[in-house]
Amino acid sequence: MRGEKRIYERDVIIETISRLLIPFIQLFALYVIIHGAGGPGGGFQGGVIFASSFVLYLVVFGLAAAGKRFPEGANTALMSTGVYLYAGVGLLCILVTLGAAEYLNYGYIPLTHMFEENRALGMDLVEIGIGITVMAVITEIFFNLVWKKEEEGGKEE
Amino acid sequence: MKPISVIALISVLILGGLFIYVAEDIPAFGDPNSAPNRYVKLFSIDADEEIVGNLNQGVIPPGLMDKIEETGLPLPTKVEKARGLEGEWVEGEWEAFIIPEEKYYALPTTQFGTAPDAPKEQRYYLIKKEGDTLDVYRYAPIIRYMEEGEHETEVPNMVTYILADYRGYDTLGETTVIFTAGVSVILLLRRRGKMPK
Repeated sequence: MRGEKRIYERDVIIETISRLLIPFIQLFALYVIIHGAGGPGGGFQGGVIFASSFVLYLVVFGLAAAGKRFPEGANTALMSTGVYLYAGVGLLCILVTLGAAEYLNYGYIPLTHMFEENRALGMDLVEIGIGITVMAVITEIFFNLVWKKEEEGGKEE
Repeated sequence: MKPISVIALISVLILGGLFIYVAEDIPAFGDPNSAPNRYVKLFSIDADEEIVGNLNQGVIPPGLMDKIEETGLPLPTKVEKARGLEGEWVEGEWEAFIIPEEKYYALPTTQFGTAPDAPKEQRYYLIKKEGDTLDVYRYAPIIRYMEEGEHETEVPNMVTYILADYRGYDTLGETTVIFTAGVSVILLLRRRGKMPK
């Protein structure tokens, strides 16, 4: 990928280290989202950690490579998917209770036979939705800012 | 000085004053026994010896019952002396319990034929003797979340079950705010065709 514009010059050490680190950052982000119920963490925090891995990728490998890994179409779609997942879990409660006003009362979703366990699992689904939205939005903001800056920098030269 | 900057200065001052006024009442963070965190005052009645004796024997006095009925809150079924932080009895403080009648408990059978746990007594009122009057407090909702949340949701993390379950609408709104931020970035910055490939 010669002649490609980057924020920084190419550096073998940084590229190798980030190539090693990024999967573990993403794994840790998933851990934070899934274990939001049992320990510290949750959707917001996990989503931001996940987004930080894409930010690192963009800083190291440049916009073109990052755009291939995480295309903007998928980005836009994921952004609304999280909110739809959250609101959909709420609507599912209304559907399961056949129209009772139980929006976002996760206990009625028949995932297990225990009301309380259903609430815990519904909370996990909701956290996943939050995580997807936060991840997509943070990545989106950073990608677009970098893209804009590169465009303007290209004009000046 | 332009008039708009004068207006802006005045509104900033008003907001700052309002914030200071509100912040005065915010309790110290993490102090579970500060009054706004712990309970809300309902009313106070005169402390007869008869009423105090009744309370000490675990009988709810009829006068108190009538007062609570006037407020429209659920009636207590049991009263006993309050316990301190280390489990000791506290003189001059009593706790009244109710049996909650929520829809949550009124779901006897699901499609699997199992009923949720039987209704459980819940601490609801705190009665305190202050000089010659008895003050009746109701425990604040946050106390209910702290005490019943883990039992009701099977999630050990208090932050998560308040954020995602009891305050689910609020969190849905927050997620929508973040989504709106992303949409505005798309509208404002992504205007000139596709990203470079």
